[in-house]
Parts: sequence; C-alpha cells; structure tokens
Amino acid sequence: MDLPGPIHDFLLVFLGSGLILGGLGVVLRINPIYSAFSLGLVLVCISLFYILTNYHFVATAKLLIYVGAINVLILFVVMFMNSSEYYKDFNPWTIGNGLTSLVCTSILVSLISTILDTSWYGIIWTTRSNQIIEQDLIGNSQQIGIHLATDFFLPFEFISIILLVALIGAIDVTLQ
Amino acid sequence: MMLEHILVLSAYLFSIGIYGLITSRNMVRALMCLELILNAVNINFLKGNIFSIFVIAIAAAEASIGSAIVSSIYRNRKSTRINQSTLLNK
Repeated sequence: MDLPGPIHDFLLVFLGSGLILGGLGVVLRINPIYSAFSLGLVLVCISLFYILTNYHFVATAKLLIYVGAINVLILFVVMFMNSSEYYKDFNPWTIGNGLTSLVCTSILVSLISTILDTSWYGIIWTTRSNQIIEQDLIGNSQQIGIHLATDFFLPFEFISIILLVALIGAIDVTLQ
Repeated sequence: MMLEHILVLSAYLFSIGIYGLITSRNMVRALMCLELILNAVNINFLKGNIFSIFVIAIAAAEASIGSAIVSSIYRNRKSTRINQSTLLNK
C-alpha cells in the first residue's frame, strides 16, 4: 500500500529497531526459550517489511510459514531440551567469542560499505525491461502465479518434491 | 533510500546470525541462528519475489529435518551440547 511519507518512515524505523533488538536477543540471551521468542519477533518484523514494499502475498506467506510453523517447531524442540545445564558454564568473554565478534564486525562493515557505495537506481532501471508489463496494476499474488506457471514451472515441481521428501524423512527419523 | 536501509538491515542480521552460529554451544540456538541467516538473505531479494518463495520452502524443509536430527541426538545422548561429538578426535 502507498502510505504517506511520515508513517512510512516511522514504520521503517520501528521495524528496524525491532529487528536490531530481536537479533541481539536471539544470540545473547541465555535461556533458549527467550531467544526463541526473540526469533519470533525478528520474523514478524521481517514479514511486516514486505508489506511496506507492496508485496502482500509474500508478507502473509512469511507470517504464516515462518512464525506459524517454523518458530512453533523450534519452540517445541526447545521445550523438550533440559536447559538447566547451560547456566553453569556460560562464559561470554572467551577468546573464541572475541575473535568471532571481530570477524563478524569486519564482515558487517565491509558489507555496509559495499551497499552504500553501489548506485542501486542505475541497476534497477536497467533490469526493469524484462519484467511483466503493467506490473503495478496486477496484484502481488497474481504476479507470483504468473511466474510460477510460466517461467518457474520446473523449480516449482522440484520444490514440491523436496518438501515431500523432507517431511517423510523428518517423520522417519523421529519415529525410531 | 528505503532499498539501502533494508539491505543494511539484512547485512546486520546476516553477521549477527554468523556470530550466533559460531559461538553457540546449544544445538537449538544454532538452528535459530541458521534461520536468522536464511531470513537475512531472503530479505535481500526485494525485487525478485519468486525466489523468496523458494527460499521460504527450502528453509521450512531444512528446519524440519534439523529439528528431527536434534531430537534424535537428544534422545540418544541426553544432552545437546555441540562439542560432545569427539569420536573422530584421535
């Protein structure tokens, strides 16, 4: 939807801060149930981002699948584990943690400098020629339907086979 | 303006996910950080909306198989520490 300017900016800042805090919460909280809830917050904020960019179908699909299925699955797995053994040997300042945080910060800085240096509007304008004509008049679910039925038909079939095999395999592993 | 903000946020989530994946001693936390990484890559595909659907499907399949493996490991060894598999060490 085309929101007015200040609401758009406010929502962007709100979701961005939710993402930042949720991401830190997944990694840094000791209790795994709290970190699973922080993962749920991150997934909700990501799917609300897709609403801001007019992709309503992808937003709803991510909300249903990620928050509704994958996050609930992870919560079930967390609740089966005995989490009292992690409070004893929790040491956040080991050498390995410090080295990894250095490496990850350098990865983040290099990625951000690459993103801010690229001129994105030039790239988007040159690749706009091979998209569907009248793209703004069709809804997002119709665009995805057109793509799935014409260009991406073979990956669609393969994805369904992959999902079938993965679910049968997961059930077989847990039944033993 | 908005495209760059979302890409910067996706880079942040990616690096946080890599940090959490490497420094987690719990298998379930490693699975959660893997989901973070996959979501960070997925939010990069802003203008390619079909590929996001495929990444969602692959992430769902991988999360289900990962949690099945973690459940069977927990059932066998009663503990989910990552550094307990040392049979190949010698």
